[in-house]
Amino acid sequence: MKIIKRDGRLCEFDRQKIIDAICAAMSRTEKGVDLQIAGRIAEEIEKFCEGKNEFSVYEIQDMVEKKLMDSSRKEVAQSYIIYRYNRDVARKSKTKDIFLDIIGAKANDITRENANMNADTPAGMMMKFASETTKPFVDDFLLESDVREAVKKRYIHIHDKDYYPTKSLTCLQHPLDKILNEGFRAGHGSSRPAKRIETAAFMGCISMETIQNEMHGGQAIPAFDYYLAPFVKKTFQEEIKKIGEVISKDCSHLMNYQPEDYIRKDAGDLKGDERYLQVAINNTVNRVHQAMESFIHNMNTIHSRGGNQVVFSSINYGTDTSAEGRCVIRELLNSTLEGVGNHETAIFPIQIWKKKRGINYEPTDRNYDLYQFACKVTAKRFFPNYINLDATFNQNNLWKEEDPERYRYECATMGCRTRVFENRFGEKTSIGRGNLSFSTINLPRLAIEAAHLAQERTGLYFPLGEGSEKHMTRIYKDTVLRIFMNRLEYYCDLTARQLYERYQFQCTALAKQFPLLMKGMWMESEKLNPDDRVEPVLKHGTLSIGFIGLAECLVALIGKHHGEDENAQKLGLKIITFMRDLCVGYAEKYNLNFSVLATPAEGLSGGFTKYDKHEFGIIKGVTDKDYYTNSNHVPVWYKCTAEHKAKIEAPYHDLTRAGHIFYIELDGDAVKNPESVQAVVDLMDKYNMGYGSINHTRSRCMNCGFENADANLERCPKCGSTDIDTIQRITGYLVGTTSRWNSAKLAELHDRVTHDECCGKESE
Amino acid sequence: MNIAGFYDESISNGVGWRAVLFVSGCPHHCPGCHNEKAQSFTYGEPIDKKNLLQRIQENSILRGLTFSGGEPLCPENIAEVLDFLYEVKKIKPNFDFWCYTGYTYEELLKRQDPVTEEFLNQIDVLIDGRFILELKDPDLTFKGSKNQRIIDMKKTREKKSIVLWENE
Repeated sequence: MKIIKRDGRLCEFDRQKIIDAICAAMSRTEKGVDLQIAGRIAEEIEKFCEGKNEFSVYEIQDMVEKKLMDSSRKEVAQSYIIYRYNRDVARKSKTKDIFLDIIGAKANDITRENANMNADTPAGMMMKFASETTKPFVDDFLLESDVREAVKKRYIHIHDKDYYPTKSLTCLQHPLDKILNEGFRAGHGSSRPAKRIETAAFMGCISMETIQNEMHGGQAIPAFDYYLAPFVKKTFQEEIKKIGEVISKDCSHLMNYQPEDYIRKDAGDLKGDERYLQVAINNTVNRVHQAMESFIHNMNTIHSRGGNQVVFSSINYGTDTSAEGRCVIRELLNSTLEGVGNHETAIFPIQIWKKKRGINYEPTDRNYDLYQFACKVTAKRFFPNYINLDATFNQNNLWKEEDPERYRYECATMGCRTRVFENRFGEKTSIGRGNLSFSTINLPRLAIEAAHLAQERTGLYFPLGEGSEKHMTRIYKDTVLRIFMNRLEYYCDLTARQLYERYQFQCTALAKQFPLLMKGMWMESEKLNPDDRVEPVLKHGTLSIGFIGLAECLVALIGKHHGEDENAQKLGLKIITFMRDLCVGYAEKYNLNFSVLATPAEGLSGGFTKYDKHEFGIIKGVTDKDYYTNSNHVPVWYKCTAEHKAKIEAPYHDLTRAGHIFYIELDGDAVKNPESVQAVVDLMDKYNMGYGSINHTRSRCMNCGFENADANLERCPKCGSTDIDTIQRITGYLVGTTSRWNSAKLAELHDRVTHDECCGKESE
Repeated sequence: MNIAGFYDESISNGVGWRAVLFVSGCPHHCPGCHNEKAQSFTYGEPIDKKNLLQRIQENSILRGLTFSGGEPLCPENIAEVLDFLYEVKKIKPNFDFWCYTGYTYEELLKRQDPVTEEFLNQIDVLIDGRFILELKDPDLTFKGSKNQRIIDMKKTREKKSIVLWENE
């Protein structure tokens, strides 16, 4: 006979549990415990239930209550009812506490999980309520029992678990040309194809806003410059036409004029056609500038997804060498440099410069001037970041300079780092594709457990962590690595299966559940009818196994991390190569795009560590901080040169095809030294890295507009105001004030070191 | 010669990424000095050239070396500073050299000292003049107070008159 538990799972009937409950109730009465009565009631219930199918826990409890009422100990029934009620309240109180935290707008780690989300607004709260209640539902009904256990014990983390029941996919690189050329229908209105730059930019915005509500991750435009360039031309022609109307002259012979570059110049001294052309160029540049400014403004102010989140938007650009594409890039950079509103740094979209030799990297390249400008903008506004199209793994042989649609073969990234490029079912491209779901493995936990087991097996006991290598024997080292690799394989297998199960669940969604996404924006979705299942097209997405805390994992295994020790680096590469090879196997086994992700650790870095610290105590260099180090990064607190960091982290980029990022912390004000940004891109180029950026601080006086790079600026050195806004970066996203950071990320920020060492300050 | 510190790389002491050598000892005692401790000639540790040269050699992000302090060009320090410059030039022929000094360029010329003259011939940029607290301006690039000048030494040598440095 089976009992249905509260969470819906089945378990075997156990007479002892009834006896225990009755005795507990009896112990709170004057007459005390009577084992005989308790045993008899349990026996009667067991007899009654025998041969019958299933009973719920509640039905059994009702029976106990009735039997007690009929017995000589009626007062126990009352005690039992109170006991039962209190247990129910206790069970619900965890939910209650979480709800109260959300209601109270307290700064704790549940409401601070996501730095870009305002969970204090009514819509934000509503989403948190939903999120906190769907998670247990997923645990109880959608996960296999071994996966549920692995999640509960923090071996793995399923990202966006709250969205699991919705069958949503993670993210998309928008094929914006489709919408711009064909128009689209969203909500209660439809849009015609774009005819000018303003509408084109706005449709890009609407595309991301709309699809954000159909997915749970970020939205990106993979070739912003290429997509918008034709509308610069159309705008120019519109301006020519206007001039013709004003001067009542036929200007149609100027319609097909191709400007060398769209640069604003004074037209005062020019005459005739030359004058009309320059005026048209000037007006075009002004309009493109305005359009870029509104685009950025919209991406920072329009809240979608239940009204509490701006789109996690990214745009990739830099390789369009046409005059029109260059105009888009230049004006986008100009608007970004100027800032939004009161010249503040725009948080979105994340901008990504596509660095490519022969196009924009060498001084003789056509877009080199714009690349230099981009570095200057990065120095002041954090963006653009840089994706290295020359990295061996980011190249595509189909890319040809003379191909007007070459952007199809250029790797694009989501700002956060998610990379989708290789495809088992078609050409390498990022466009129209995205990640389906990802889960992350807690490497430090596996390492600590492996070390404990190895100590048991070898009988060699010593404290783990920093400095432990001196206690290790050859046999111990072999043992611990063997155990670790075995366990890693077990959890990779389990994670791959979990991703596959989620994929199968996602496949049951109907196209109409994602009205715009599955109307041609996702690869091959144009062939789906609204009532079709999305299964045939989901294969173009990726499934990613992430990892966190390689540094702490290595310290737990061999006493040192990969930033400080060559052997640790060798082992680190061995571990991640092993994961990569496993993913190659899963790709074969499940026939899907599996890859390894260098996980951005938001919300997660604290959860794992807190749990592990509780279980294993403080292990030096492993659990002694409030966070685990981001993916394969050298620990933020470890002092080393930028080049050393690059050398160590670079080889992991090739192994983590689902995404990676390289960061350099700057010690000073890059605005005064934009060449320093170029030098970081040079490092990426030299060491074959895929994606990177610089981290620094911009503090801004909200009174007089003074800015510098001092993270601790409290009083403006120019006007004395204390109204200072400090911007920093958290897992790829910029955050205005650090009050929205969770405690683990705050601790990490506190420990970050810039890449220099010494006593003095700057020589100024 | 003692050094107050060494930055493996910095973006705040001249253009690009630069190593910075902070020399100990300074006769100027400007009020509001950013590095007051380094005014003492006994502050810090004796320079370990071998170690510093190796660190410079291994770091490809560097565009140059900046001398700071302390006062690198006071009579007690200048000979050793020049010596170190030669050694760095040997391993990094393409480096550019910047130097902060509390002396003015004119004061240095007046010395009519061959070591000083040789040093001024070797460097690319000189930031000269005392730090004057009343003229401090946080908006300035690569210098602390408005009286200080960033002198392009190469062009100055060519033109034989002071040419201020401009970022290309």
